[in-house]
Amino acid sequence: MAAFAADRNQKGPYQDSGTADYTSNALKLFMEHIQRQQQVRLLDVGPVCQENIRFFAGKVWKHYVCDMFIRLDRCIRKGSPVHQVWQDLDYEPESFHGILVWELADRLDDRDVNRLITLCHSMLKHGGMALVMVMGDQIASSETKSFVVRQNWQIYLRPQPHLNLPLRSRQNRDVLSMMTPFIPAKSFICRPGFMEFLFRRE
Amino acid sequence: MLKRSRKENDEPGTSASPDIIGDKTIIGDQIYIEGTIRGDEDLLIEGKIKGNIEMKAHHLTVGSKGRVEAEVHAANVTISGALVGNINATGKVKITKEADFNGEIKAKSISVEDGAYLKAVIELEREPMKKDVFSGKPEDKTPSGPAKDPLILADKGSKEN
Repeated sequence: MAAFAADRNQKGPYQDSGTADYTSNALKLFMEHIQRQQQVRLLDVGPVCQENIRFFAGKVWKHYVCDMFIRLDRCIRKGSPVHQVWQDLDYEPESFHGILVWELADRLDDRDVNRLITLCHSMLKHGGMALVMVMGDQIASSETKSFVVRQNWQIYLRPQPHLNLPLRSRQNRDVLSMMTPFIPAKSFICRPGFMEFLFRRE
Repeated sequence: MLKRSRKENDEPGTSASPDIIGDKTIIGDQIYIEGTIRGDEDLLIEGKIKGNIEMKAHHLTVGSKGRVEAEVHAANVTISGALVGNINATGKVKITKEADFNGEIKAKSISVEDGAYLKAVIELEREPMKKDVFSGKPEDKTPSGPAKDPLILADKGSKEN
């Protein structure tokens, strides 16, 4: 597996070099879990990504896309209060079998993280699952990236230069603390400090 | 202004021009239409439309100046402007990075550029699959509701909480 690239000026593995940044065990488990249901509804709040839309829409009944990263970016650029972005997550309670949160929490302060987690908890069905990523200090950069999913659960990190978002790195214990409404189901260390978490609603 | 065009490279204000081939009608940016539009040729919208658009065998393009609030039935749809509503396409839906879309998309295939402003429900035509090609396991069809099977918790290289 290629070394993780945090510097966009280096030729990183996310530049379609044919080598994945890493293989996501958490995503594989996440999909195996939600695909046990019928008429699966999946919500992705990550940056809009064609590969992911095709991947997930081909595997679930209804694939919901609500890019909260670009909403956050526009809100910050306009100087508007960040909490305004949450009005777009206006889905009915218990709408989804799974929610892909990616690294959105790392882009929010504690108050908005709590709002995000509360909404995710409400929107998930009982037994539903949320996938959360934490990039960690060593590999995190202020540059936002999308987690591009390809075959065999390989993930490529593609820079999103149109997004200029603050970075608030969180540690393992911070994530477990912020996700207290959920049951921790599984975590994976992908790189030092870079972790994938699966949380399940009771 | 309503125009007819046969050229491929003279569309005003759209990044989707290469996709338009042959006859098309252009609804200019000073036009507002409320109601149902039905057509048997490709259509480029740079104006404002509210209602229904039915052109089941043709290509609808919402140009970068286009503002559309409509139920859309078309063969192919390209969005570079703003569209609120549901799209039912027998072919491909293309969403460029300038697009602002809110609604449902039912299509055979989709392409989306990074940077598109999207809130969507997407249903793509699914090829019948006997197996999950990534896990190698047959698709499970257990009833909806909380999973009865526990997660596998003993993967190599994992850290349990």
